[in-house]
Amino acid sequence: MKTGIFICHCGHNIKHTVDVKRLSAYFKSYTTVEVAEDYPFVCSEPGQDMIAESIKKHGLDRVIIASCTPSLHQELFKDLLKKSDLNPFLLRRVGIREHCSWVGDDINGNTEKARRLILAGLYSAAHYVPLEEKRVDVVKTALVIGGGISGLSAALFLSKMGMQVFLVEKEADLGGHVRMLKDYWPGRQDGVAVIEAMKEELQARSNVEIFTSTTIRAFEGSFGNYAATLETPAGERRIVAGGVIVAIGFTAFDPHLKPELAYGRDPRVMTTLDFEREGKGLSLPAKPRVAILHCVGSRDEQIGKPYCSRVCCINALRVADAIKEQYPDSYVESFYMDVRAHPKGGEEFYEDTQEKGVLFTRANVAEIIPGNEALIVRGEDTLFNEPFEREFDLAVLSVGMSPPEDNRHISSLLKISLDKDRFFLEAHVKLRPYDTALKGIFIAGACSGPKDIEDSINHGRASAVKLFGLLNLGYAFVDPFISQVFEKRCSGCRMCEQACVASAIKYDEAKRVVRVEEAACMGCGLCVSTCPSSAVTLKGFGDTLLDEEISAFLEAI
Amino acid sequence: MTAEKVEQNPEIIGFACSYCTFKASEMAGSLRMKYPEGVKLIQVPCSSRVDPAFIIKAIMDGADGVFVAGCHPGDCHFIKGNYFTRRKVAALKEMFDAFGMKERLRLFWVSAAEARRFVDKVTAMYNEIKELKNAGKTG
Repeated sequence: MKTGIFICHCGHNIKHTVDVKRLSAYFKSYTTVEVAEDYPFVCSEPGQDMIAESIKKHGLDRVIIASCTPSLHQELFKDLLKKSDLNPFLLRRVGIREHCSWVGDDINGNTEKARRLILAGLYSAAHYVPLEEKRVDVVKTALVIGGGISGLSAALFLSKMGMQVFLVEKEADLGGHVRMLKDYWPGRQDGVAVIEAMKEELQARSNVEIFTSTTIRAFEGSFGNYAATLETPAGERRIVAGGVIVAIGFTAFDPHLKPELAYGRDPRVMTTLDFEREGKGLSLPAKPRVAILHCVGSRDEQIGKPYCSRVCCINALRVADAIKEQYPDSYVESFYMDVRAHPKGGEEFYEDTQEKGVLFTRANVAEIIPGNEALIVRGEDTLFNEPFEREFDLAVLSVGMSPPEDNRHISSLLKISLDKDRFFLEAHVKLRPYDTALKGIFIAGACSGPKDIEDSINHGRASAVKLFGLLNLGYAFVDPFISQVFEKRCSGCRMCEQACVASAIKYDEAKRVVRVEEAACMGCGLCVSTCPSSAVTLKGFGDTLLDEEISAFLEAI
Repeated sequence: MTAEKVEQNPEIIGFACSYCTFKASEMAGSLRMKYPEGVKLIQVPCSSRVDPAFIIKAIMDGADGVFVAGCHPGDCHFIKGNYFTRRKVAALKEMFDAFGMKERLRLFWVSAAEARRFVDKVTAMYNEIKELKNAGKTG
């Protein structure tokens, strides 16, 4: 056996708290280790070239890469092995960054831990066998959950690429929150017009089926062949989709949760969304005094919303701008923490509203007291460190985005995770922002975290592109980590058959042994740990491999 | 031996489900949360892959503690794998109890988003076992 061990510095990320030189020197002493090198960035092109050259020069048959966590760059390194005519399943990734250098400060302790982790890789990789990726046939259809701007964008893209799309919306009409916006910033477009245009385009396409007032009752299957049971007004309907895009949007923050702001108790306190609907028709004095409160339901630890909702600063500016336009002599005061007018043109818009005479006060508003004549806004000016109390005719709360109300339902149906704020969790916040942990299930739009319209459209389209890429060929390759039965050992007790959730284990009456239906096996390994005769094994996660890892962690060196 | 007592650090081995706990551990790393080096993870496709034999082997090989961590009930990617795990670990725990070492085996649920919970759980386990170990009570 000829093993090559490549230890990444990851710049300073690993090198800083793990003695990589000591590690590479240490592993050189193993007889099965042909090469042990450390390198600043093994994922870089020169780094990959170095590995490829080593494979060729030394005829390596096992490659161990100790670097970031295995789920990052896995495909890149697998491709590298393929290009070097080596089976990609002879690669072992060892996570010494997320699981070692970043979680400990002590360089000696970390180096020892990294050594054990690499040793576990070395021991178990010795038992690796070449595997062939499993080819599965995929259905070229997509289920898009949520008919808001993001879901519509995704559905349109997929449909134009020639894929059958099922668009499911629980409301009676498509459009989500954008439908409520009268003239959204920038461009001053009418939300209804934008949605109607997209809707018409979708309805005209023969490969799109739209289900409104529809919910999802059941969901099953695996990548390429998911099946959903829809509850439509016309009755139950079962559809099969190769992949899913979840775009269920958000819920506007409910200011009732902050009772000190008097929302719901006084009609003069309204949210930015209320203002959007009713703003034009309000009866205000000729010189109205208007307070605008930023960050209502955002950046607020006390109510469990520590995140920035990204859209509410622009919404607040829009309200200020609209009031100044309608009542040039109005007194508009905006109470902010920071103004984060981040989208394109946002900063200019902020300056523009300031020029129009909108007053910006950095403040924490403590309460709004409904008086007979006026609303009294009390708070603290955080630049002067002084309390203040002022009278207004109208208070507009710039509400943030809260997770969608169906987040729990969808996450438990589809088995995808929620993050700490109860939005959907992406597979990787930077590198895989569209993917979930499940292959073929993507997230789009504000359901994965606050986004404005532009971002939601982009997110929807990007998820659609990713899904299309997975399904386009009509088949796909998945990891071949499936169970295997050694007939000679099988006593035919059928315990695994009862345990298997995927019904992938079938009993052969004639031979009195079980066999695995490879296409159905999901690779959880439950049958392996259930079998009393050790007759079943899971490719890639065999007993020997895991035993060796335990030994490597604990043996005396 | 010197008269001064040297504190011993325990070795904890954890079996982490790829879909939840392993993801949480990745996130804990990305967020630079800290936990003791003695905690080492073995990635498994599902917590139900963990054969009680692995746990026994780890203890026999000298681990001071073993934990199995999977998805919260109802959230298992493989529908009900974690229910099987729960049964198995409960049965094994009874056996461990007979040997006076039930503290050394733990099962907990950590979702992919719960990096903080992961760190809290493993750190608490580490500290408790460290105390037992130094008091000579690990059985």
